[in-house]
Amino acid sequence: MTEPERALEQARATAAAMRADGAYGEDPQGGELAPADAPTPEKLFEWALIDPDLRQVRSTRRLGAPITALKRGLVRLLGQYHAELIAEQARFNVNLVRYVRRLEERVAALEGRLGGASGEEGEPAPPPE
Amino acid sequence: MRVHQVLSGAGPHDAITTEALVFRSYFRRWEWGGADYAARIAPAVNGSVEQLGRLRPGPGDVLLIHHSAGVPRLHELLALPNPKLLLYHNVTPASWLWNHAPLVGVQCAIGRQQLPELVGAVDVAASDSQFNAAELRARGASRTEVIPLLVDLERLGPTLPRAGAAAPKPAEGPVIMFVGRLSPHKRQDELIRVFAQYRRHREPGARLMLVGDPIAPGYTDSLHALAGALAPGAVTIESGLEARELGDRYRSASTFVCLSEHEGFCIPLLEAFHFGLPVIARPAGAVPEVAGDAALLVEDRDPAVIAELVNLAITDSALRAELGRRGRARLERYAPDAVAQRLRSAVERTAEVARARDHTGVRR
Repeated sequence: MTEPERALEQARATAAAMRADGAYGEDPQGGELAPADAPTPEKLFEWALIDPDLRQVRSTRRLGAPITALKRGLVRLLGQYHAELIAEQARFNVNLVRYVRRLEERVAALEGRLGGASGEEGEPAPPPE
Repeated sequence: MRVHQVLSGAGPHDAITTEALVFRSYFRRWEWGGADYAARIAPAVNGSVEQLGRLRPGPGDVLLIHHSAGVPRLHELLALPNPKLLLYHNVTPASWLWNHAPLVGVQCAIGRQQLPELVGAVDVAASDSQFNAAELRARGASRTEVIPLLVDLERLGPTLPRAGAAAPKPAEGPVIMFVGRLSPHKRQDELIRVFAQYRRHREPGARLMLVGDPIAPGYTDSLHALAGALAPGAVTIESGLEARELGDRYRSASTFVCLSEHEGFCIPLLEAFHFGLPVIARPAGAVPEVAGDAALLVEDRDPAVIAELVNLAITDSALRAELGRRGRARLERYAPDAVAQRLRSAVERTAEVARARDHTGVRR
């Protein structure tokens, strides 16, 4: 029996021996999975100012027109609350966009300085519009 | 006594909600009142947890705050004059989440930012592991208590294969299992890569079984794609299992492998011990203190070494038996009634500390 305290040592030795015999030679493909669908900075800026479309408030049922009217009426009744929600969200989004933009400008400036210091042509990337 | 529990979020299968509901059953047994609240509630929770906005504690009611992510309007909660007990379950570092689950990343980043405020405002600070207690102390807690997670293993059913359960057939290959949120920090991706090598060099008929709720649908898709590329048809990924179904999966497994990079406790280790499975784990976070000498801990990043350790744990029957014996012994440390007594003492102490604070005006 392999003592639990010696199991790792034995596994390391076996792996090394098998690798010497040609096994475990393939690329282990380590690292994290690539991020799936990260939005571009341009998309983030576009999303910053939210503007919900009242036309999306609707019933998907057949003969749902009265329900659609009711839902849109409720949205209008709650207009004050929704305005508060949108204002809070937009304030956060816009300040975040401003913060990201400043960071990008600082990074671009640093890259430019670094390029100049190393004698390379360092052309800072323009911040996204 | 009335105790209200406050959770950062409530989900149908997450460990902290499950624990809070077990706590509630003990509170009822002790004839304590109160209710359970969460800042975010998944639709499948079915009314057992209420929205945090509805919390209206009476004078002297104890607030038991389970902290595992950011809580909106925390300052309003902390401004309440009630006795407060913090139970810190740890918060996943947001750096693991930005790429695949940025919204959860924000919630976790806020959760970590809120920790010093929480520590400063509660009457008693507790955590479910020494690892988490060290984080509390680093953020200003002068005294911490450890109340291990209260795990109801009986809910998983009997440890022997039940009639009709999916028990492994002798002709089939070994089954490697991991249970945990499908999330980047749990490193199911690395486990798939290790499994592919184990399968190629040791057991072509082996299967990998991943169980857990997705942190984001896109991440689960990425895991499916990786499994399809490296071990087509040999990896199953299941979510939303009921306790009995989860028990069936444990019963059908040959070994449990956890390569997670961050664990505040890791309940599945105890579940694997309960089912007598040999456990291989990366010694991250609270894993070493929970597993003790009952698991094979591996720091190595080399997939070949981990694959060979898996092979040992599956083929060496004496090693399996010894690990099974140690796992059962380890479980005695987490006997529910003993943990419940520690919980009860902490709640009662919280009420006493708050009474003293009200008299003297000095916190702790």
